[in-house]
Amino acid sequence: MHDSAHTTPRRRRLPLIDWFEKPIELLIRISGWSSIIGVVTIFLFIFREAAPMVPKLDWWQFFTSPRWIPSPGAGNAPSYGALGLIVGTFATTGLALLVAVPVGLGAAVYIAEFAKGKTKETLKIVIELLAAIPSIVWGFIGLMILGPLLQKLFVAEAGSTWGKIMVTLHLASTETGAAQPTNLLCGGIILALMSVPLIVSLAEDALRAVPDSFREAALALGANQWETVRRVLFPAARNGLLAACLLGMGRAVGETMAVLLATGHSNRIPEALTDPVRTITATIASEMGETAHGDPHYQVLFILGIVLFIITCGINVAADLIIKGVKKQGHA
Amino acid sequence: MNYTTLTFSAAVMATAFAFSGCGKKSGDSASTSAGSDAPKKKMTEIRAKGSDTMIQLATAWAEAYRKVDPNVMINANGGGSGTGIAALVNGTADICNASREIKKEEAEKIKAATGKDVKETAIAYDALAIYSNKANPLTDISIEELTEIWAEGGVDENWEQINPAFTGKIVLIGRQSSSGTYDYFREHICGKTADKKQREFRQGISELVGSSEVVENVVKTPTAIGYSGMGYKTPGVNWLKVSKKKGEPGVEPGIDAARSGAYPISRKLYIYTVGEPEGETKAFIDWVLSDAGQKIVAAEGFVPLK
Repeated sequence: MHDSAHTTPRRRRLPLIDWFEKPIELLIRISGWSSIIGVVTIFLFIFREAAPMVPKLDWWQFFTSPRWIPSPGAGNAPSYGALGLIVGTFATTGLALLVAVPVGLGAAVYIAEFAKGKTKETLKIVIELLAAIPSIVWGFIGLMILGPLLQKLFVAEAGSTWGKIMVTLHLASTETGAAQPTNLLCGGIILALMSVPLIVSLAEDALRAVPDSFREAALALGANQWETVRRVLFPAARNGLLAACLLGMGRAVGETMAVLLATGHSNRIPEALTDPVRTITATIASEMGETAHGDPHYQVLFILGIVLFIITCGINVAADLIIKGVKKQGHA
Repeated sequence: MNYTTLTFSAAVMATAFAFSGCGKKSGDSASTSAGSDAPKKKMTEIRAKGSDTMIQLATAWAEAYRKVDPNVMINANGGGSGTGIAALVNGTADICNASREIKKEEAEKIKAATGKDVKETAIAYDALAIYSNKANPLTDISIEELTEIWAEGGVDENWEQINPAFTGKIVLIGRQSSSGTYDYFREHICGKTADKKQREFRQGISELVGSSEVVENVVKTPTAIGYSGMGYKTPGVNWLKVSKKKGEPGVEPGIDAARSGAYPISRKLYIYTVGEPEGETKAFIDWVLSDAGQKIVAAEGFVPLK
């Protein structure tokens, strides 16, 4: 390649480029590799910090007990039961997905297939703006606006019908309704709002990647627009849509500041939709500052970090494999 | 609100940065006038870190102290008393504002890391107020009842157990485990277990990251009870009068009650330094203990030493 570059007349006129080419090539190569180096170093770092605790930790207690007392009073042994935190993380994420997936896919279908011209462009820009709102702001919205709103919705007199319905359906743990403004539901909705933009833009890409010939064929067969979307586009873009949802889920699992403010940050196994919860991420964020380097508490927080890392890695790898599946299908 | 003070301390930090970078160009009149007197005098930065309870106080001191000595920049940060003490160990802070006494093992860590003994200076009193929602008719509560409400294995879970006039599950709102307030409240409210060990908090308490956030959440939660410093009272909450034993008349948190010890949940606030304070740090602590510094203590809702 180097020789051929010399033979082209343009290269001969600009010898400086030749001189610069090698370092620039190296720089680009390093940039390319840096992400892999980054991921590996991060994992090694987290693991190194957590490693001394791995053989010492009571893993059974860690995964089955909700008793989390990492900095106990004088004379007491700490209790590292993370069940409440793990359940809290999955509960908020699951709820977020329940809300975000239908809304996100619906919005993507509308933007990709139905909206035209200016509406389409405006929607795309607004959704991108939504993605740019910092998570602490989402947290504030949860604490100051959404929480009190939900509290007004889920309220009843003790013994009233609505109160009884709420308890039966596990909407609230008591007949008087939601006690706290910040709770599982509030956190879940905030997380949903945060992951919707990601789901929409990825799902829209997946839908757009479906060749127009599919649409034309469907219309030629007499399908209306809705039938085309449901019977042709969804199956064709299935993998891409699934990947979009999984990446949205990854966003929800890893979110910290918003859930710290919006979930109530209370360590317990939630019994109802409006019970407060506490997530792994929020626990790490609120407790990391106090711990001395190398402390058992510090190491346990890193183990929580590993748990989180494994969850998000699993989601991302799953999404990746699914996207690869799409490509293979495309080539075949 | 705490966030505003945090923002303010961030602003203080940013200014400190700007000043250390370009002291000569500074537009601040006080600093330029001092600069003309002693053009080569360097800006000294005192890094204060610690209790979130004291962050408003610390930033108010930092602001006022700029007028006392324009060449000293106090950089006040929160994070919790434990965080502040950890910063003394790591050498990332010059003084630690603590809302509790230093633990023996923490003092040993400082000695091991720096070779010096930690020096304690009491600078104010603080009373932890028990906050309840305006909707709650309760006016008095005893330490015994608070223990059963907050401690692990406690029997009081509903308001009707305390006062038949109000019903609902008690929602507990407290502080995160790195705050001195958390430690202090656990020690004084949860009491001891049968085998003379510290009784822990029960699970399911909302552990919030800020004194004003506790009060903010009590305002929004009719069945809540929360603990926080005296300086955070807002119109949406009540202070409960506290007595030692059930049936005794409660004492309202206040300056005299805190200082005399009549109010059962009062404590001292401290500044910790590594070794005897020297130079600018000593001058600052002396100023804190002076009338001018203590006036700010009172203005921020704490109780001055005298």
